Amino acid sequence: MSEDGETSDAVDPRVLQSGTIRVRSEDDILRARQEARAVAEEIGFSTTDVTRIVTGVSELARNMHLYAEDGIMTWREIEAGRDSGIELVFDDEGPGIDDIQGVLRAEHSTSGGMGRGIQGTKKLMDAFDLTSNPEDGTTITVRKWQ
Amino acid sequence: MTASESAAVTQVYDVLIAAFPGRPTDQAVDDLQQEVLNQMNETDPRGVILDISEVTTLDSFFARVISETAGMVELMGGRAIVVGMRPSVAITAAELGFGLDSVDTARSTDHALLMLGVTVEDADDVAAGPESAAATTHDDGDRSGSAPSPGGADE
Repeated sequence: MSEDGETSDAVDPRVLQSGTIRVRSEDDILRARQEARAVAEEIGFSTTDVTRIVTGVSELARNMHLYAEDGIMTWREIEAGRDSGIELVFDDEGPGIDDIQGVLRAEHSTSGGMGRGIQGTKKLMDAFDLTSNPEDGTTITVRKWQ
Repeated sequence: MTASESAAVTQVYDVLIAAFPGRPTDQAVDDLQQEVLNQMNETDPRGVILDISEVTTLDSFFARVISETAGMVELMGGRAIVVGMRPSVAITAAELGFGLDSVDTARSTDHALLMLGVTVEDADDVAAGPESAAATTHDDGDRSGSAPSPGGADE
């Protein structure tokens, strides 16, 4: 089940560089934030956009650790035409999200605010895509353009 | 946990100043909350200043802990004031849809001390200059010294 295919509708951007961080502890959440900050600054995002990106990473990495315990964050520096940006993918093989619609409307709050974190992150980014089912776990892809 | 991530609670007059670390783990944030409440109990201050000037990433968890800490300080009979939120953090927090509801805020530690009713003579001392540095430790000068460097390790 997929919701909000904004990113999948977009033209496939060119990937300039990429990297991954495995998230299975609180320290890894910190590492994911640091890596995202370094990449976003290198791409040349403004201080406010860097803060938006890193805050979103913090929400999504924490959710992933909280609900799936173990997952991977992949970052990509992307380019489409004259636009440059960052894509971040949070992929886990956890139990999946039962009520995706509820989570995206932030009505859902199982252990202290998953909905709020995910819904807020959606506002901070330019594109947001969420796929989740009990077999494959959850994949959230976000993009921010400069 | 390294020193830069750990709790820093100091006392100025009868006010506690808790400086939140710039790049804390969730555990470090919880620890600082506990430390504030412990010192609140021991020193019976009139108020607590929660200094977030080093904080570059205020996500929903961190915001909730700060809100809760302020609420707990007030339950214990003190007044809590949050100071030093960076512009980019304020923009992001507003967009995320969480303010620090029902939490008092101030632009600087000096302003917060005035709000807490530190007496005029005391306040003059505080505003006198860098010699009375205790109350201004976390002001702008200090902040710029540890600003995140592009591509650097600072989170």
